[in-house]
Amino acid sequence: MNTLSGKLVAISTHKPLWIYAILLLLTLGVGSQIPRITIDTDPENMLAADHPARAFHNETKANFAMYDAIVVGVVNEADANGVYNQTSLTDIFDLTKSILAIDGVVDADLMSISTVDNISQAGPGTIRFEWMMPEAPVSDAAAQQVQANIERLPLLYDTLVSQNGKAAAIYVPIVDKNESYRIAEEIRATIATFDGTAQWYITGLPVAEDQFGFEMFVQMGISAPLAGLTIFILLFIFFRNIPLISAPMIVAMATVIVTMGLLIGFGYTVHIMSSMIAIFLMPIAVVDSVHILSEFSDRYKPGEDLKAVVEEVVGHLFTPMLYTSVTSSVGFFSLMLTPIPPVQIFGAFVGFGILFAFLVTITFIPAYLSRMSEASLAKLQAAMHEDGAGQGSAIARMARGLGKLATGRQGVLLAAFGVVFVVSAWGVTQIQINDNPVRWFKSDHEIRVADRVLNENFAGTYNAYLVLTDRSEQATAASMLQRDDMPASLAEWKNDTLTAINNGASGEQLQNLIVAIDDKLFSDLTDDEMAYLNNVMAAAEKANSQSKTFQQPEVLTYIESLQKALASSGLVGKSNALPDVVKVVNRELRSGEPQDYQLPDSGNAVAQTLLQYQSSHRPNDLWHFVTPDYRSALVWLQLTSGDNQDMTAVINVVNEYIATHPLPAGIEADWAGKAYLNVVWQENMVAGMLDSLLGAFIMVFIMMIVLFRSFVYGILAMLPLTITITFIYGLIGIVGKDYDMPIAVLSALTLGLSVDFAIHFLERAKATFIATQSVKQTMALMFEEPATAISRNALVIALGFTPLLFAPLVPYITVGVFLASIMAVSALVTLLLLPAVMSLGHKIVFKSAK
Amino acid sequence: MKYSKLFLALITGAMLLPNAHAEVDVDALIKQAERAAYYAGNDGRADARMMIVDNQDRKQMRQFTILRKDVEDNGDQKMMVFFSRPTDVKDTVFRVEKHADTDVDDDRWLYLPALDLVKRISAGDKRTSFVGSHFFYEDVSGRAVSQDNFTLQEETAERYILKAVPKQPDTVEFAHYVVEIDKATSLPVVINFFKSDGTNYRRVESVQIETVQGFPTVLRSKVSDLTNGGYTLMEFRGTEYNIDLPEDVFSERSLRTPPMQWLK
Repeated sequence: MNTLSGKLVAISTHKPLWIYAILLLLTLGVGSQIPRITIDTDPENMLAADHPARAFHNETKANFAMYDAIVVGVVNEADANGVYNQTSLTDIFDLTKSILAIDGVVDADLMSISTVDNISQAGPGTIRFEWMMPEAPVSDAAAQQVQANIERLPLLYDTLVSQNGKAAAIYVPIVDKNESYRIAEEIRATIATFDGTAQWYITGLPVAEDQFGFEMFVQMGISAPLAGLTIFILLFIFFRNIPLISAPMIVAMATVIVTMGLLIGFGYTVHIMSSMIAIFLMPIAVVDSVHILSEFSDRYKPGEDLKAVVEEVVGHLFTPMLYTSVTSSVGFFSLMLTPIPPVQIFGAFVGFGILFAFLVTITFIPAYLSRMSEASLAKLQAAMHEDGAGQGSAIARMARGLGKLATGRQGVLLAAFGVVFVVSAWGVTQIQINDNPVRWFKSDHEIRVADRVLNENFAGTYNAYLVLTDRSEQATAASMLQRDDMPASLAEWKNDTLTAINNGASGEQLQNLIVAIDDKLFSDLTDDEMAYLNNVMAAAEKANSQSKTFQQPEVLTYIESLQKALASSGLVGKSNALPDVVKVVNRELRSGEPQDYQLPDSGNAVAQTLLQYQSSHRPNDLWHFVTPDYRSALVWLQLTSGDNQDMTAVINVVNEYIATHPLPAGIEADWAGKAYLNVVWQENMVAGMLDSLLGAFIMVFIMMIVLFRSFVYGILAMLPLTITITFIYGLIGIVGKDYDMPIAVLSALTLGLSVDFAIHFLERAKATFIATQSVKQTMALMFEEPATAISRNALVIALGFTPLLFAPLVPYITVGVFLASIMAVSALVTLLLLPAVMSLGHKIVFKSAK
Repeated sequence: MKYSKLFLALITGAMLLPNAHAEVDVDALIKQAERAAYYAGNDGRADARMMIVDNQDRKQMRQFTILRKDVEDNGDQKMMVFFSRPTDVKDTVFRVEKHADTDVDDDRWLYLPALDLVKRISAGDKRTSFVGSHFFYEDVSGRAVSQDNFTLQEETAERYILKAVPKQPDTVEFAHYVVEIDKATSLPVVINFFKSDGTNYRRVESVQIETVQGFPTVLRSKVSDLTNGGYTLMEFRGTEYNIDLPEDVFSERSLRTPPMQWLK
């Protein structure tokens, strides 16, 4: 122990009340921030707010006036006509009406059978615009008329009502997604008054996020205390002394409270990752205390100088504890290398928490021990020595068994590890990267059920948007006004006009110029002025027409073909885009027959068709597919799966299509939509995790070399965790479990945790060999107390994570299962592999110790 | 010009129905407002420019000329709307024969030059957007005053303020509206539309009124979407009344062959 740490421990044992006071003040002070907690459940936050893909997604949402939506679905299996019966449609009508009355719903964009328009033929040469369902149907026959009408409108068919007619949906756009719970509750209350046979479902991202936030609180409220309780019980089994084991519990509590308080105090939101901080910190924070308590209870004999023993024990453990804490925190800090903000914050604060726990351990535990009463100490001794037949011996027996295996069958063991490693390495190459935030709910969760039912019936509730944008240069007002025939008398007007136009939106320059000229033409003008202005007007109008890229039939034809390619790929439930709008209106303007379901042949014809489409109850629906300047258009893809593998397949189809069918000149294609953002952050996560894993590996390796002042020991220390991580991830690949966010996050941090065992093992083995100078004797001794301590710690951590198995959300369960198994496997590998390698290579390994 | 008046009148006119207030004859009041807003002179013309502004301040322009001829004051009316800008919809024409009898739908036709197509329009109701703007078709053609029950809410020095409740609430999106009629011009100057929960979600205003040929005329009017944001501003120029528009200007022939002399 160096002098600084020695002084620290000395202060702790001599001024324990000071330590208590400082810790209490710190915990209460920082902990007071916790009530300011804000939960963040938005999967978008997996990308930084300024990430280009996310910024573009939000820009797209704004440009095309899209809102997050609650999806209400109704399925009627009982009626032969599905939802097309008087009762079901009446329920939909009434529910829609009640939803429109709810505050926070974007009425104008609500999509329901009763809020959309029908376009149809009202007789020869007559087109009719009317509400699809202006009132509840008066009979089943009227309900079936609605069916006939909807099936004629491709934008509604399979989106508002399923193809099989069994299901209908209401899309409820909401202003603020934080209101989704209240709005969903109001919708549920109305649904509860219906007595039909139909089944109702509520889903949609805002609802899922809200539900997720709620269950995160449940998790933090139940799983974290449960983890605390599990650890407490384990410690009690080991030490049988409540005052003694209260100390590690206090360390764990203080660590969790200070870390969470700091996170919240710094203004960070609690995301799904940070909600697990308590669960991660508790077992880790307890481990160092367990080391001290184990050794203290072994060394202390009644009557000895309590303070001296404490100082000796802590001094002895200081270096290994420091290193294990630093390596663990390096594992977590390495998560800051990933480009995923919630993971960075999680890594930073858990890393901090581990170092903080170390500091508290080496100050508070000595202070606490030094104040223990004689009676408690005596009880501790009694418990430890009576323990011969208890759990401790079971662990000790198991440890000795491992020792026989490790030292007796070295060749077989090494060969076996070699095979496992090779197979695992192959398994790693088989890993499927896949995630979908909806799958974070358990399969029987109502969100998952609704998701499944609606996607079975409809074209898909997952959205991706392919945005086509003409980014070519447009004529400017200045270039239009720049003509030789400009009379000097208009110079001032020109300057004023240009200034005004340049202050306006750049995309509206030509339109504003036309308005300005139109205004000017109303004043008294000379013939020259009139001629000039008319010339500019003609040129500006022509340029303005030409600038409307997505009114051009050839551009719409391209989109139409792309949609066909998407449909024939079978990967997309349905795509909706401007050509669909134009074709429907064109059909109804002409004969209403299928042969007229086609694009008109000129840009003007498209413009005039759309002018009619806008003469409806919902003129602004057009702006979900094209921007008002017709320079950008959106293809809305409905997918039945939100898995990023499925989305990636769609992206590939589009990329291939564009490669073989080049986009019209000047047009660029970009992706937006939640399904696409998922793909982006998954890719970031994989690349980021690889960086983080490699970064942590190198850091830990260097630290091991420094710690042991030996390259060989550095390699030895890295060996068990390398095999463990390869094995676990190989298993994931072979079993076919998707590599998702929680699994990715585990890779780097297990590295820091599992190296602990190797450090303790190697430290003790080296020390033992120096004392005994015999490989055989060293190994035998190693499987007494040291192996028992390692096994005990592995158990504490592994079992400490098991309450996660009872969590309501899948990522927590995944983390629980994997951390527990990683701890168990890495302890096992450490205890089997290191002795085998050390015995076989003893000439190299113990060379310096001789 | 007619339109502006038309326009306002429509709105106002539609709303007015009689109600007993001590001294004010509500029935006469709304009839007069309807006349002032939609039936000034025997016929008329105006050039309209509409600027449709969405809640992101994105603008779309529409320019058209309206010709109007009354069959009878407060009664049937003929109307033509000839589009001139943007150029891609130039020469698109609407032809309307408005019927004062609320049981008879207006007759409406449409001519789309690029599709070389004349089509009759049968509209389920009149409260659909007028070419994508915040104005409804009914704001332009006029909502018959017989469709609502009017009560005088308040009388100020300048205005009568009336509340109108639709007789057939299922056919409209509002629960009631409140119209303010300017005493000096008899023109409705503000109309606020309310939902059943009392939300004022839509407003129609006369922004600028001037006297043209002795007729108080709305030269600028505005419809605002108070819920989602966005508005449409309509400006009228070249307004003239009593110009003796010939009957054949309002015939089907004018759809394909616009009567140029009346358009500029």
